[in-house]
Amino acid sequence: MNKIKGRVWVFDDNVDTDQILPGYAMAEDFSGLGRYAMAGSKEPDFAARVNPGDIIAAGKNFGCGSSREQAPVALQAAGVSLIIAESFARIFRRNAINIGLPVLVADLRQYVQTGDGIEVDLVQGIVKINDREVVAQALSANVLATINAGGLINRVRQEIGVSNG
Amino acid sequence: MNFIEQYLARAAGLEAVAAGQDIRCRVDLVAAHDVTGPMAIQQFEHIGIDHVFDPKKVVMVIDHIFPAATVQAKTMHWIIKDFARQYGITLYDKGQGVIHQVLAESHRLQPGDILVGADSHTCTAGGYGVIAIPVGSTELAAAMATGTIDIEVPEVIEVYMTGQPKPYVGGKDIVLSLIKEFGVDGLTDKAVVFTGPGIAAISMDDRMTICNMGIEMGAMIACFGEETAATGVARTMPLALETVAIVAACPPSPANVRPVAELADVEVTQVVVGSCTNGRLSDMEQVVNILKKHQVHPAVTMLVVPASKNVLAAMEQAGWCKILRDAGAVITNPGCGPCFGAHQGLGTDRDVILSTTNRNFPGRMGHRSAQVYLASPATAAATAVCGRITQPGSLSSEGGAGNE
Repeated sequence: MNKIKGRVWVFDDNVDTDQILPGYAMAEDFSGLGRYAMAGSKEPDFAARVNPGDIIAAGKNFGCGSSREQAPVALQAAGVSLIIAESFARIFRRNAINIGLPVLVADLRQYVQTGDGIEVDLVQGIVKINDREVVAQALSANVLATINAGGLINRVRQEIGVSNG
Repeated sequence: MNFIEQYLARAAGLEAVAAGQDIRCRVDLVAAHDVTGPMAIQQFEHIGIDHVFDPKKVVMVIDHIFPAATVQAKTMHWIIKDFARQYGITLYDKGQGVIHQVLAESHRLQPGDILVGADSHTCTAGGYGVIAIPVGSTELAAAMATGTIDIEVPEVIEVYMTGQPKPYVGGKDIVLSLIKEFGVDGLTDKAVVFTGPGIAAISMDDRMTICNMGIEMGAMIACFGEETAATGVARTMPLALETVAIVAACPPSPANVRPVAELADVEVTQVVVGSCTNGRLSDMEQVVNILKKHQVHPAVTMLVVPASKNVLAAMEQAGWCKILRDAGAVITNPGCGPCFGAHQGLGTDRDVILSTTNRNFPGRMGHRSAQVYLASPATAAATAVCGRITQPGSLSSEGGAGNE
């Protein structure tokens, strides 16, 4: 899962967790969270229009606010394969990585519009937009290991020696 | 090493640590609530072990949607209740209060102890010197299993306080002023510490309010230190407390801060006092001091949300609940109230709300277009009386706004 190809949705700075998944949606069953992805944002019908594999390209401080992990879970459940932002709020970034949803730090907004297709090499941190290449901040070995393990829970299982099966 | 590094080194069993270093800390308490807890429990069960690292050090609180507003919310309560019974952990149920207040009242954490909480306002415990790290549900599950957390040592920014705040300037005004200064992401991945002789003038309730909103600047840790300056910090920002004005954060961001004096034209339909940010006894006292002489404006719904059952009991004992009700306010059960946007007093696109809570993001308290202002309890009470945003201290003793 080191190469990702998808269509981009562009968002602004400070997209907070209430926009990504409003508080009222939190009282829904986890399995239905995808239906509320971005319900509080400038794209309230995001969940109905997003295609599996789509990529979010956002500005600064993406995911600021609540610690609610339901926010990245909802994006992942809606089909989002990757979030690229100029910067991320700490808890959101960690939550996304912990559930195996990759995040990359780069500012793409000057190069892409909603609907454009891009190709991303996660390991190299290279984003291909038509003929242009944008280099993102590289993921640390630790982060890549967590993403490749499929999230933090699998890493903990490995560390404390719970057998798979 | 600064004091945050000293605490983290101790928790990691190391002689020394430096900013940027990856460390594994043992934790002294792990806590979650009814929104983050069920997902943490689900993740914990995926790990596949039959016990938490120490049942005495794992706490769950039902505070966000209590009493249950939906069938699914009640289902989440049951997930927590069943887990608590099965694993022998501590559960605060039935309206004991907001997680951060319950932890402060009941868990005797010492300065330098490590608290891991699945709530972004876990940083509240920095008011009493605790290294309080907010996490999501999966990290919480990992901490419940292992009793540890992996973090990178943060760079530390010091706010060195001197002097004394002017009358009616509270912890909320101080922290909103800091959020304006640093911005909503100015301290991302960093720790902010509060030191200097000025901290002697700041009550414990206000210290908790200030640390509560550390996350609104992106901080990983917010923590009060000593009256002496910290050593070994990355940067020191001086703050002369007498220069802090009475302020409010205007929609849609906690950093959109303006002097209350400039907002006198803003008419409000609802005022909310309480929550983990400003629901403590001294917050209530400021409101009572105004509402014992004045009535809530007829066009305003005023909701008072005590941060805990103990706060509510003390309010009852002091006769404050009657004063608040007689003035026209509604007192809700202790908990998060409408702050979280799931129950008890949400706004529509017609509503303008002044709240003492910590966030005014679009949709935070109901409709995306509900306007939410954030301010201190004193400003909230004066605003509830006048029906428009009002500077506390400007009310005449007869009622209504004075000319000052």
